[in-house]
Amino acid sequence: MKITMVKKVFADGSPCKKCGEVEEKMRAAGQLQRIDRVVIADEANDQSEGMLLAAEHNIDRAPFFIVERDGQQTEIYTVYFRFVKEVLDSETSEEEEIAEIMNDNDLDFL
Amino acid sequence: MSALPNIVDIDTQLATQSPQEILRYALETFDNIAISFSGAEDVVLIDMAAKIRPDLQVFSLDTGRLHAQTYRFIEAVRKHYRIDIDIVMPEASKVEQLVKAKGLFSFYEDDHKECCGVRKIAPLRKQLLTVDAWITGQRRDQSPGTRAAVPVIQDDKAFARPDDSLTKFNPLANWTSKQVWDYIRDNNVPYNELHDQGFVSIGCEPCTRPTGPGQHEREGRWWWEEATKKECGLHAVNIAK
Repeated sequence: MKITMVKKVFADGSPCKKCGEVEEKMRAAGQLQRIDRVVIADEANDQSEGMLLAAEHNIDRAPFFIVERDGQQTEIYTVYFRFVKEVLDSETSEEEEIAEIMNDNDLDFL
Repeated sequence: MSALPNIVDIDTQLATQSPQEILRYALETFDNIAISFSGAEDVVLIDMAAKIRPDLQVFSLDTGRLHAQTYRFIEAVRKHYRIDIDIVMPEASKVEQLVKAKGLFSFYEDDHKECCGVRKIAPLRKQLLTVDAWITGQRRDQSPGTRAAVPVIQDDKAFARPDDSLTKFNPLANWTSKQVWDYIRDNNVPYNELHDQGFVSIGCEPCTRPTGPGQHEREGRWWWEEATKKECGLHAVNIAK
């Protein structure tokens, strides 16, 4: 299995806050060592590797994870807690999961 | 569960169709599908769907903080269409913990997310674990900032069961508020009396207020907070190198 993490850099060069938070959580949980490659999606350069991967997989948010397994279809994870559970086989708390859902989704219509 | 071959392709096909056609596709493709009814003008979805499939599954999130008018309206809709509406409530112990720690109006001091997480998102999540697809009244014109690209069909990765998929339909995505209200009037659809009092967007009582002429409907919700920047989005920016 090969895991690529794509994280974003804003057009002004500043780092994406959520990408940083996810990376920090993964570091604290010892999960970063499971990531084979970290690729940057530079919003100022649509030819940057991360932006090209986002376009290839029709992804419009960051960070995201590309999971490649021999003989299987490539899987893309845009929801961190799902990636942690389904790929890394680890647990996250309900509070963390709800916070991620609320931060990443416009649910004001409810 | 019905398998969807390619959400993007289907979205392209459905994008130009009417809400009724989109609803028909959704209701005929998925057996276990539910409408999320907020007690506002998304009642048009119930009216349209009831004409396609009378055995509708409908649920409403009862945060415990809705207006009395909204409760009365949900009940009126239940009787008018002779449907069951699942009233989905938050876990009492979680609400008690929040209120004990931060009081009844913590959202005015922090922001609305913690309260919404307990009262809406956690119960919604539990409810969505029971279905294969859901239908919402989201429209692009509700928030030019965050809903400008709302598709009519989505692969809902946030609420899907583990190792499973959940499909989300937004049949009103391409409609404007005017089209919704034209439909309500043309079809004598019941509506929440709060709309006659200037409420456009209707949520919990402490977090919703009427809006005036020229104000966008989003200004009627969480007006004490700055508009949230959805910074997780990826947007290529043209910058001269």
